[in-house]
Amino acid sequence: MYIPVVFMGGQYNHLIVRALKELGVSSRLIPQSTSLEELKVDGLIMGGGPHSVNDGLNKLGRTPEIIERCTFPLLGICLSHQLIGKVMGGEVVKGRQPEYGRTLVKVLETDDIFLGIDREFVAWASHNDEVRKNGGRFTILANSEYCDVEALKVDKRPIYGLQFHVEVADTPRGKDILKNFTKLCKN
Amino acid sequence: MGDRLICFFMDTGFMREGEVEEVRTMLTSLGLPFKVLTVEDRFLRALEGKTDAESKRLAFRDTFYTILGEAVKGEGCEILIQGTIAPDWIETSGGIKTQHNVLEQLGVNTMSSFGFKLLEPLLDLYKDQVRALARYLGVEITSSNRQPFPGPGLLVRCIGTVKEDKLDVLKKATFIVEDHLRQIAPPPQQYLAAIVEDDRTPAGRGIDKILSKVHDGASAYYLAGRATGVKGDDRAYGKMIVVSGIEEEPKDLFEMPEKVVHADREIVRVLYSISDNSAKSTRKKRIKRYFVIVRAVDTRDFMTAKPSAVSLQVLQEIAKGVLKDKRVVAVAYDLTSKPPATVEFE
Repeated sequence: MYIPVVFMGGQYNHLIVRALKELGVSSRLIPQSTSLEELKVDGLIMGGGPHSVNDGLNKLGRTPEIIERCTFPLLGICLSHQLIGKVMGGEVVKGRQPEYGRTLVKVLETDDIFLGIDREFVAWASHNDEVRKNGGRFTILANSEYCDVEALKVDKRPIYGLQFHVEVADTPRGKDILKNFTKLCKN
Repeated sequence: MGDRLICFFMDTGFMREGEVEEVRTMLTSLGLPFKVLTVEDRFLRALEGKTDAESKRLAFRDTFYTILGEAVKGEGCEILIQGTIAPDWIETSGGIKTQHNVLEQLGVNTMSSFGFKLLEPLLDLYKDQVRALARYLGVEITSSNRQPFPGPGLLVRCIGTVKEDKLDVLKKATFIVEDHLRQIAPPPQQYLAAIVEDDRTPAGRGIDKILSKVHDGASAYYLAGRATGVKGDDRAYGKMIVVSGIEEEPKDLFEMPEKVVHADREIVRVLYSISDNSAKSTRKKRIKRYFVIVRAVDTRDFMTAKPSAVSLQVLQEIAKGVLKDKRVVAVAYDLTSKPPATVEFE
């Protein structure tokens, strides 16, 4: 199985590659300029980064059009979760309280991504912006005290967004959530 | 490589007490041919008058490679092998902080700038993976489990201006902190001391109000020095706030930073005052005294980290030891996770 990670400039993008390799999946960082046509993949992950989607999508390479048109399973983390929310018609705003470090995620809908995961779990996050649904074509799967959309799934497509970081060691169930995503890529 | 290998160990002046001898013994026991470069003066000169964390790091890096370049040339070598690992290039190219051992990833041509080709075999690994690799290669456990010590050493724990007496206090405090925390079972993955001038400003009623909701009698003040942090994948170079007036186990205070950081978004560190002699030292008020910070974290790979649940009793013992040096006024414990802080201070 091959699931590359689009490098979005964030601190933990390379840790996603590490976590995938530890799950027996081959992976590497690929640039934002990669087009959908070039991608021969079983699934794709887009990492976090320092930009805000509200400062314009032109700094984010080909990622918006991949989100619009891809047919393979896609997971967006942090910035890329916000990007998915925006591309799918939702809104991205400054969070009422940014989250840095530990947060408690509450699962609203298990879906495939949270199979076997507790309804509440500790996760690590690092973000200023957050997603608002506002008519967006996705379902909210989880929230937290300070953030309304900790996880989302795009309607009728295997596309997921996670505001928190499954790839860091301080999110204890992170790897199991990532494993759930890789299972979707197999089918 | 056989006998064509030569190792360099640079005594920058920012090493811990006894460290140069310790490294000498370790390298000898590993059977590696090495040379110690004693270059303290050059570093002190390069850092004179610098207070900003990034300008200190840049000055360190340039001095480091200038000296290495000379050494490499002196030995007639063409290739330099260095142990740069994943967090180094990730944090440097992400603009969080300039690690001293990242050049090519920033577009520096080492051949034209310093006269050598660079090899970095560990670029893809994190610290825990380097330890696993070392064990696999049969490296002695004391070496493979050695605490990571930053390339710029005590420089990044000497917050703000570098002075000889400040470094001297820091070396002594570091010895005491390490001596106590090494004995905890299991010890935190990283533990250290940092130093800054004792220069305080009250935090104001807004923050005191938030604090007193959580802990009766708590109040807070800012230190003048600034520390490095990481918020939402961006560098933060912000304020340190000290919470005082309470006596709790640190582990019961781990949720406090979140509340305080939200009240003032410039804060990157929340420190918990363990022992404070400032009220006693009114006589020689004009002499600048020092504030010592104890930091201990649990972390797998240093990309994220949480404060260790060191007991108040151990911290009070440490503070007692550190305060024997009359140049120190107060000792505090760092309660901040990474993010929003980093493991080191600058």
